[in-house]
Amino acid sequence: MTTQPTSTTERSVAHAVQTGVAFEAARHKELVEIDSVLDVSKFSLWYGENRALYDIAMSIPRGKVTALIGPSGCGKSTLLRSVNRLNDLVPSVRTSGEMLLNGRSIYDPGVDVISLRKRVGMVFQKSNPFPMSIFENVVYPLRIAGERKKSVLRDTCERALKSAAIWEEVKDRLHDSALGLSGGQQQRLCIARAVAVEPEVLLMDEPCSALDPIATARIEELIHDISSRYTVLIVTHNMQQASRVSDFTAFMYLGRLVEYGTTKQIFQNPHLPETEQYVTGRFG
Amino acid sequence: MSQPGTRTLELQPTPLRARGTAGTWLTGMALFVCVVMIVGLLGLILVSGSRTFWQRPIENVTLASGQSFYGMRFRTEQSPDMGERTLYRVGNRDLGQQPFRWVDEDEIANRERPDDAVLIERYEWGIWLGVPTRIIEIDDDGGRSVAAEGAQNVLEKLPSYLDAARARHIRAEKIRSDEIAKLNHKLEKLRLTDLNAKLRANSAEHNGHIGYGLWCSLVVLCLGSALGVYVLNAPIPRRLLILAMCLTALGAFVERPWADRPISQEQLDEILAGTSARRIKLAAQFTELTDQVAAIEAEDARYRVEIIDPLTGRFAALSQSQTDEPMKVSQIIRVVQPNKMGLSGKVGLYLSRWWEFISRNPREANTEGGVFPVIIGTLLVTLLLTIAVVPLGVMAALYMREYARQGLVISILRVAINNLAGVPSIVYGVFGLGFFCYGIGGVIDGGPDPSIVLRAGQWWILLFIAAGFAFVAMTISSGGPKNKRGLLGGLAWGAVAILAVIAVFTTPYFDGFFRAKLVDGSPTFGTSGLLWASLTLALLTLPVVIVSAEEAIAAVPGSLREGSYGCGASKWQTIQRVVLPGAMPGILTGAILAMARGAGEVAPLMIVGAVKLAPQLPFEARFPFIFADRSFMHLGFHIYDLGFKSPDSEAARGYVWTTTLLLVTLVVLMNLTAIRIRTKLKARFQSGQF
Repeated sequence: MTTQPTSTTERSVAHAVQTGVAFEAARHKELVEIDSVLDVSKFSLWYGENRALYDIAMSIPRGKVTALIGPSGCGKSTLLRSVNRLNDLVPSVRTSGEMLLNGRSIYDPGVDVISLRKRVGMVFQKSNPFPMSIFENVVYPLRIAGERKKSVLRDTCERALKSAAIWEEVKDRLHDSALGLSGGQQQRLCIARAVAVEPEVLLMDEPCSALDPIATARIEELIHDISSRYTVLIVTHNMQQASRVSDFTAFMYLGRLVEYGTTKQIFQNPHLPETEQYVTGRFG
Repeated sequence: MSQPGTRTLELQPTPLRARGTAGTWLTGMALFVCVVMIVGLLGLILVSGSRTFWQRPIENVTLASGQSFYGMRFRTEQSPDMGERTLYRVGNRDLGQQPFRWVDEDEIANRERPDDAVLIERYEWGIWLGVPTRIIEIDDDGGRSVAAEGAQNVLEKLPSYLDAARARHIRAEKIRSDEIAKLNHKLEKLRLTDLNAKLRANSAEHNGHIGYGLWCSLVVLCLGSALGVYVLNAPIPRRLLILAMCLTALGAFVERPWADRPISQEQLDEILAGTSARRIKLAAQFTELTDQVAAIEAEDARYRVEIIDPLTGRFAALSQSQTDEPMKVSQIIRVVQPNKMGLSGKVGLYLSRWWEFISRNPREANTEGGVFPVIIGTLLVTLLLTIAVVPLGVMAALYMREYARQGLVISILRVAINNLAGVPSIVYGVFGLGFFCYGIGGVIDGGPDPSIVLRAGQWWILLFIAAGFAFVAMTISSGGPKNKRGLLGGLAWGAVAILAVIAVFTTPYFDGFFRAKLVDGSPTFGTSGLLWASLTLALLTLPVVIVSAEEAIAAVPGSLREGSYGCGASKWQTIQRVVLPGAMPGILTGAILAMARGAGEVAPLMIVGAVKLAPQLPFEARFPFIFADRSFMHLGFHIYDLGFKSPDSEAARGYVWTTTLLLVTLVVLMNLTAIRIRTKLKARFQSGQF
């Protein structure tokens, strides 16, 4: 899979887009021996006539944090939302290619989307706690799965809130409305909700973009903590954040995966000039 | 001060047009006019409505001609021929005089307020103004004795007589409304049993029973296909089995062996003998009860009171035909001595009149008494309309917002629904009468119209065609390309629905639930009534509910839905747990607006069920509690009736205002509830912090 770039000038993304030739991403050699939880191969996606993703091929390592970076509109969020098939909600979406979660195809016609989404947690850009109590928010995924035992619900709530490092702040007001929490607390609550059912992969779509620096720091700390237990796939606009929280980084541009490697390599020694320009802030 | 190289700042005055002062004034004036109109309307209703029950003093008016009469001053106005004139309420209608009298101010020689003057409120013939002179007791053999004489004495003793009379009245009323009504109900049931039996004996032509063997095999087939549906997974046989299950179940139902079958002459005679034996027993009970009531009435007749009208010198009579007999004490509801009354007494009287107005039945062509049945009718019709319209409207809105593909069809539908809100309400009334009362009600009463009923064979062919369409519809909507299935599947299901409706209206297996009463000439549901009025109003308010529910559903943020889907919730779970609770404030607001609109509507009700005087309340303390086939009274219609259909519009005037005040209060209360619920729920669903 990994190929060292032969000549960086011929591998220009802009050139590939203009001429319409397939673009082969630069994959670093560190990715060879990873244990992947999610395998994406030749995955493309169209919104009606518009193609949003072009033959994405990448493997997400288990138990690590992988960041997706790239300028706005490059398809990072679309790729993220393809993992739990949230794009199905948009009418006229079409896909091709393959996406395997633990070896099982996500886009197989026989796949039950609802049970898939139970295995893939998601945290959104804008925190979206439901207008219910804190407790009901956290156990929502269990409730819809039909869990009724009080003890199970209570234990899960406590464990999830502890995982999301918000237990100490809310343990005395579990039955108050979740909407009374601050923005950062709401986002951590959403993380607790996402990890309540022990998902295989946790998707995060710019989870800190609406938060102040202190709340952001807490969430980043939290991502670091939970990465030992869950595989995290995070979309971010913030270069510093990507370099702080992630183990691996993928750079996307115009719907194509451009470069994918360890975060250290991508930020310090990128193979492609576009990547270097983007991570140093000269383009994008 | 200006230094070289710098220029003084030049400020151009802003032109008046641009400042928009005139605009401020214009918009302010518009708002002012609106406020004046609204406050004026509500204030007029409030003032006029609350004035009606206030007791005015009785004046002894002496005219220049020497004539003198008792009257309560109503209002004074400039008469057309320049003089001032005053309207007096004089009551005493049974003397043949108008209860109201205009008097020119110039003619009045003297006015005074005699202490002894009393106002008598009676069960019949309205009020009586006069001076009480004697209480007379009549003993068993007709001998009369004077129990009290002179106004003071009479007024002191009268309350105890009144209390005794009221106790007897309550007792008699209890016998009438409880026991005699129960007996009447039983007698009516017996009559219907007879009628039913005769109908069954006379029905020579009937659908032959298919026999127990055949019927049992139908049931077995039905259960077998149900099992097949449960076990099988292959789509096509499964669909066929579902249809087979439905058809066999229907067949087994229409041929059920416990259905009413024709009876022989002997059976008929037996039934009639049974009912007539019971009828004789009930008649005996009936006589006993009427005897009890008669005894109470005889007791009532022993206590008389003479109250003299000063103009004619005659007392209030027992009845119009017995003018030489003084009235019974039991004919009096209340005795008021307004000229001697203090403020607290007047306030007490005022409040007790309001209570009577709310809690009693109307009397004297609705111009006296209370509006209790009217309030009950209004509340019931509003309740039933809400039960009908809210679930229907919310479900329709959910489908339009959440499931349907947003395209041309849905846009057209939305415009159509919005336009429905603008259709004049009388049109709904006419439609309700034709469709609900005569159409559906007629079928419920007496089965489908015999001229369009199909023969059994034809009817089953119709059903098989419908089943064929259903099969096609199921196949289309479960397979095929996603974007094509909507229209074709919809058309197929539409055909199924139309055929099903045709089948219902042409079935040979149904001849009505209330055929006996219909044959007897009194339709049950086939005429206007509470149920049809509620459904008509539900149809009328449906657009309000759909539009507000749709807006509320659309206003639930997409991020919440995504969050729910992201947790692995299905669409239905998301709707149930996130969308509906989030949309609830808007849905409730729409529902209460619809209720308020329905409660205030009159035009359609005049056609589909509201009446001037309903013989029975549509609510009774026996199963099924709400009698939806009965006609009812309604506040809106009551206002119209009092104001424009009353025999004495001047007497009804006060009641028009009080009824209006009541209706407006009811509607305002509903709207306030809506606002409260909305703010309360909104506080729950909105984040205070960002």
